[in-house]
Amino acid sequence: MTFWGALMRNGVYQSVSTTLFKSQRRQFWILASVPLFWIFFANLGPILEMFWIGFLDSYPPKVGHEPQFTLANWAAFFQDRVFIIPFFRTLAFSFIFTAITLLITYPVAYFLAKHVSRKNQLLFLLLLLIPFWVGEIVRTYAIMILLGNNGAVNLALKSLGLIDRPIPFMYTGFSLGVGIIYLTALYMLLPLYSALEKLPDNYLEAAADLGAGAWTRFRRITLPLSREGIASGCTLVFLISTGYYATPVLLGGPRSTVFAETIAGFFHVAGDQWPMGAAFSSIMLIATLGVTGLFLKLMGRDGKGMMR
Amino acid sequence: MTKFITNRRQFIKSSAAGAALVAAPAYLRSTAARASGVVNVWTYANFIPDDFKAEFEKDTGIEIRIRLVDDQGKQFNLLAAEAPNPTADIVTVAGHRFLQFISSDLLAPLDTDRLKNWGNINPIYSESDWATINGNKWGAPILSGAEILAYNTEVVSEDEVKSWDVLFSDKYSGQTAYTIQDMMSVVMLYKGYDGNMVAYMDDPEKAAEIVAEARDFLIEKKPLVRKYYDAGAEVQQMFINQDIVLAHAWNGPIAKLITDGFPVDMTIPKEGTYGFVYTLNVANNAPNADNAYALLDALLANPEVGAEMTKSSGFISTYKGADQYLSDIEKKASSFTEEELAGLQFFRAEANEMKYKLVDPAVEQIKAA
Repeated sequence: MTFWGALMRNGVYQSVSTTLFKSQRRQFWILASVPLFWIFFANLGPILEMFWIGFLDSYPPKVGHEPQFTLANWAAFFQDRVFIIPFFRTLAFSFIFTAITLLITYPVAYFLAKHVSRKNQLLFLLLLLIPFWVGEIVRTYAIMILLGNNGAVNLALKSLGLIDRPIPFMYTGFSLGVGIIYLTALYMLLPLYSALEKLPDNYLEAAADLGAGAWTRFRRITLPLSREGIASGCTLVFLISTGYYATPVLLGGPRSTVFAETIAGFFHVAGDQWPMGAAFSSIMLIATLGVTGLFLKLMGRDGKGMMR
Repeated sequence: MTKFITNRRQFIKSSAAGAALVAAPAYLRSTAARASGVVNVWTYANFIPDDFKAEFEKDTGIEIRIRLVDDQGKQFNLLAAEAPNPTADIVTVAGHRFLQFISSDLLAPLDTDRLKNWGNINPIYSESDWATINGNKWGAPILSGAEILAYNTEVVSEDEVKSWDVLFSDKYSGQTAYTIQDMMSVVMLYKGYDGNMVAYMDDPEKAAEIVAEARDFLIEKKPLVRKYYDAGAEVQQMFINQDIVLAHAWNGPIAKLITDGFPVDMTIPKEGTYGFVYTLNVANNAPNADNAYALLDALLANPEVGAEMTKSSGFISTYKGADQYLSDIEKKASSFTEEELAGLQFFRAEANEMKYKLVDPAVEQIKAA
């Protein structure tokens, strides 16, 4: 008798399983308990704590001072344009980087889904996944090595005689954009590939037979039918790029400070303004969720949006 | 569907099980940290030399478990998150940050009577006014650093770096870097004010004016700077990549570049600068306080250990006689001339609350401008 067979016939196991799964409701709660615990304690818990800290006048607690409730941390954001500038800069950067990532990865996803044999698609996907086996910081340093004054790009341009002095790519919006797009491209590519791979070839063939040109086929068939992939990819890339911290710190310059750096400043600097940082983090979270919700509404994942 | 029946006994049992589950991480954490043969140290890379660590572990049977930190603020956050039962026995706090840790009850007063080698520290550091707060010592000074002007010797001449002016000159536009937070203090000094703000503790309006002046100056000079950085490794990387030729930096990372043979040097300009001292501190409620004192005393026992710390970190040892164990290039990389030292004063913490309430928003304004 196998182990599982013996287990099934075991009296203790039978009585325990009968007690635990006596009713559907009990089954439901037992099965749901682990994911619910994970969602509430590991995901929502820290966010709720952050909200709560945002309403305190001091945190971590100081000796002899009981933290008091205040709205000052939230009000500070709206009272000083100093904080609003990096906030909107971050949203604008994320919007631009998402659009560029879409433009770059869409043809790659289309090529992969429609022009690579099914046998080789897995191999291609594996190749695209390789950079993701190393962490964000290592990949960011790779960009630094590429774009630095002594980096591969400048050395190549110099050896070709195209430049005398290195082009200062690093610590600009350009280097930041290259880094973010490199880091997030796969999050766009995979949903796009998934959507395009499901697109029936005979739709395109029928359209061609009826005289539709390449642009018309793309505009009327490919684009609308890959809408789900575009919506998922853009949402992922937008949300991820608004939250990046290490990459802007390493690749960004004095004129490309993002809101995550502002928030981090409140947690790291000597003044210990955790509550301000917590309130600003909450504002960022609400704003990005709002923008994403609006975007999904416009994209019309219910089939009624702008890409009909 | 059947009713989900519960009674008081079941409820109590479930609540107890839930409470135990929720409390488990804290219990497991404190149990893991508390072990007879262990001392948990949070410190910067290369502050505890490998050879010393191996010898100490062999002689005492106490294992040194190091958790690397790279920023005072992050260390404060980690310790605050674990309070009141930290996993750390020893932390590494800069002297001018003591107040922040003490006011949050994160450090235990240091019992110097338990350190028979306390006298091996140069009294300039161990008996300095910043070292005593509320009548107690709070840490053993081990390494000293300074805010310095670093430059690429192949591009910038020695004559050009006599003043902080060069960092803001058009000649090196786009080839400079600094940390804004520290630079605010240096700019205040550069403009003839007290960057520690102790002199303005009774005149907050004057303090606000000075911070505004320093802020406006850095905003005006923003088009000239290549990068605002945070970590020593970043400025090293920028010098190596030749992204910059001039920077405000800490002497430790630059000393490492000098001893590694890069064409970089450093100086304290005529307007002066601020120094700081890294201290090793016993955490409040340290799980292995006795082992922490054993380690501190062993670290202070021999000036050769101080010299090793200098070699590995680049910062200047606070031990009496440590320099005799350094090579000429190591001495050069970790020392300043009498003229330079005349302009060095230490960061002070007395006015920190007022100072950083003004400086922190100013830093954000400079970044956003």
